[in-house]
Amino acid sequence: MRDEANHIAALEARFLAEHQRAVRLRRWRGIALNILGVLLFLAVWEIIPRLGLANPVLFPPPSNVLEAALPMFGSGEIPWNILVSLGRAGAGFLIAAVLGVAIGVATARAPLIRDLVEPLLHGFRSVPVIALVPVSVLWFGIGEGAKVALVATGAFFPIWINSFIGVRDVHEIYLRSAACLGANRWQTLRYVVLPASLPFIIAGLRQGIAIALIVLVAAELAGARAGVAYMMSMGHQLFRVDIMFAGLVILGFLGFAGDRLFVALCRKLFPWYRPSA
Amino acid sequence: MPLISIEHVSHLYVGTGGTPSWALRDVSLGLERGRFTCLVGPSGCGKTTLLQLIAGFLKPTAGSVQLDGKPISGPGPDRSVVFQEYALFAWFTVRQNVEFGLRVAGMKAAERHQRSDELLAMIGMSHAADRYPHELSGGMRQRVAVARALAIHPEVVLMDEPFAAVDALTRATLQEELLRLWQQLGLSIVFITHNVDEAVFLADDVVVMSAHPGSIQEIMTIDMPHPRDRGSPEFARWYARINAALHRDQKQKQAA
Repeated sequence: MRDEANHIAALEARFLAEHQRAVRLRRWRGIALNILGVLLFLAVWEIIPRLGLANPVLFPPPSNVLEAALPMFGSGEIPWNILVSLGRAGAGFLIAAVLGVAIGVATARAPLIRDLVEPLLHGFRSVPVIALVPVSVLWFGIGEGAKVALVATGAFFPIWINSFIGVRDVHEIYLRSAACLGANRWQTLRYVVLPASLPFIIAGLRQGIAIALIVLVAAELAGARAGVAYMMSMGHQLFRVDIMFAGLVILGFLGFAGDRLFVALCRKLFPWYRPSA
Repeated sequence: MPLISIEHVSHLYVGTGGTPSWALRDVSLGLERGRFTCLVGPSGCGKTTLLQLIAGFLKPTAGSVQLDGKPISGPGPDRSVVFQEYALFAWFTVRQNVEFGLRVAGMKAAERHQRSDELLAMIGMSHAADRYPHELSGGMRQRVAVARALAIHPEVVLMDEPFAAVDALTRATLQEELLRLWQQLGLSIVFITHNVDEAVFLADDVVVMSAHPGSIQEIMTIDMPHPRDRGSPEFARWYARINAALHRDQKQKQAA
């Protein structure tokens, strides 16, 4: 009897240890492969101009880009440009998020308003926001407010549309459950409609982040005195492709970091919801 | 006076092809307090429509539905509903789901907690209070759904095929637990099923309905004491009677 109990405990302990090791191994292998992918990409990028397959002036290898970028980091030029760009993108995105979710919910909850705005919504969203840049420059000039407004406009539509769809399609059974448990309109919105449509709202916010960056670059290229895209357009005028590449890498990294940060935030705030990585 | 009185209720909807269809035609029924009533019938007999009219999700095209003599104007916490599945709020834990009705009614957290503790103990789910619905089996989810419906002390619990999506073994356990709760708490239950065995096992009153148009075929009162033995001849007799009533209807339709 005693022996058998010991035997079972030992078996369980061994099984658990092996399982944990397998999980750890899988996680580390995943991270290692992620890093390897980036390194492979950098290696190919480095080799192509060095083998003479591309002109290193027009297609500078990462070592040259780093060489050009390092002093600009030291002088504070790049950090400042990043800060300016992030400020514009962040402010614009925040405005878009608040207005997009609020208007999305409001327009989807009231049937009359829903039918009133639905065609407009689909019309507006098929206009690429970048097409608004020239108009915006005419209206607002190239000041900070204009850029933030443009980013907000761009990010607003995917957030509005996704929130709208999410709220419109909340499952009837949730609404009925809330109603027969005595929830009023406001309680239903807060405890049921918003959480139920959260997957859509999150998808919209995520799209909004990506679009905010696109519009930001367009707005900065149209005329600015600082910012990552401004730095790139300076590089263009000085025929410094390495600086332009540095800008590209920074933009790529900002988009990546923003998205990861967003996913991590979602995990923390909504433990019951898993956004697909 | 019956707890729920349904008087000459008809419900029309627009079917495929734009023609009006009768989900219910001139249905009258009185449901007494403290009884376990099963609505049995083929699909299209209007049993779900009838339940939704009592819940207040639908309004009758004609006739009246009353609770305690007052006409029903919409859903409310005096008539809570247990749905077939997927009705637990996915973003709330088991406890938060059970406490939902109390929370929106403005009950204090401590008091709420006490009541959810009692209910979770009653359904044997105390250990899972902080889990999310997606971490539960189908049977556990339906237990929680029942607890959520009971937490607000409704006048009547409306159950729309609540155990149809769980496996047969679990279903048998859930049925026994539901009977225990019904007896312990003195509930009034309206329970939809298309499973004759379930109706014979649970019900005081069985309302057999027929389709096209939805109407009441026959009402039977099963006076067997609980717990009922599925192997007894009496159980088999009731099974056969209800089954015959269901099939009689189909034969009539075929003959017509």
